[in-house]
Amino acid sequence: MHELSICQSMLDIVERTMNQHPGAKLKTIRLDIGKGSTIEPILLTDAFAIITEGGPFAGVELEINSIPIGGSCRACGKSFTYQELALGCPECGSTDIVIESGMELDIRELEIDEPEGDTEKGREEE
Amino acid sequence: MTKINVEKKIQSDNETIAEKNRRVFTDGDVFVLNIISSPGSGKTTLLEATLDRLASEFNILVIEGDVTTERDMDRVRAHGAGGIQINTGGGCHLSANMVSEVLPDLDLESADLVFIENVGNLICPATYDLGEDVRMVLLSTTEGDDKPMKYPAIFHESQMAVVNKIDLLPYLPYDIERAEKEVRVLNPQCEIMRVSALKGDGMDEWCDWLRGKLAAKRAG
Repeated sequence: MHELSICQSMLDIVERTMNQHPGAKLKTIRLDIGKGSTIEPILLTDAFAIITEGGPFAGVELEINSIPIGGSCRACGKSFTYQELALGCPECGSTDIVIESGMELDIRELEIDEPEGDTEKGREEE
Repeated sequence: MTKINVEKKIQSDNETIAEKNRRVFTDGDVFVLNIISSPGSGKTTLLEATLDRLASEFNILVIEGDVTTERDMDRVRAHGAGGIQINTGGGCHLSANMVSEVLPDLDLESADLVFIENVGNLICPATYDLGEDVRMVLLSTTEGDDKPMKYPAIFHESQMAVVNKIDLLPYLPYDIERAEKEVRVLNPQCEIMRVSALKGDGMDEWCDWLRGKLAAKRAG
């Protein structure tokens, strides 16, 4: 249950990014969250609603791209993603595998509305 | 509508502070171990048993992370450790920032080993680098042998896994080979060791491992 801390860290980065775009309105935050990252998207979405309530980011959409746990097998050379974690390569069963994805906790991009005809002024204020 | 490419780790602020902590620890010439496990797997007992064997040889500091009470700090102090208790007041993990706040209170100059005992939890501490040299996960035979796959992040992020309470293996259905296999599948580089902190099995090997890690760090 560290979704509140993770959400706060995410918002710190969002706030710093938005400070570079004065007057812009934040519409969407897009995250990459690995299925093995220990962050539960539903709890993160709840935490986001709680933290942002009544503030400038209230009502912003949180889009979570859930990334499956995946890797490659050093025995058969194939890459794979797990539907469910298993004790080895889903292709050949070897345990000589490397997990390469599914632990992500990343902010990918923000979608904003720039202030109309105000972009230059905004840059100057910066 | 404009898209801003951020491409940043959510934990990047924590990582920046963790790197600062790491520099402070390196300047102090200490080896730092971040110990993570579920509650009741024997973190404090392992520290007590380690102190009984190494406190005369090394100056050992412990940073104790708990939601509340100084009980664990009292226990390790009684076995010869210095250090400090951090109460997270409900927080389920330590963060790099919490550790950086207590660093000025620690005499790192005269210390050799620093153990950070994280809040008992296999989930939340996994994503918080504290500036340690090695992140270690402690398992125990009284938990299920299927824990690694159920909590993959911590096993993926750890460089050392120790299975505690092996003296109880004859009485429990715990399949230690299976547990170790699950660790290896998640993290082929992870070292694995077996101990009984209470009865002493494997403790010589464990202490040698710590001596080796400290020597390797000091050799640069």
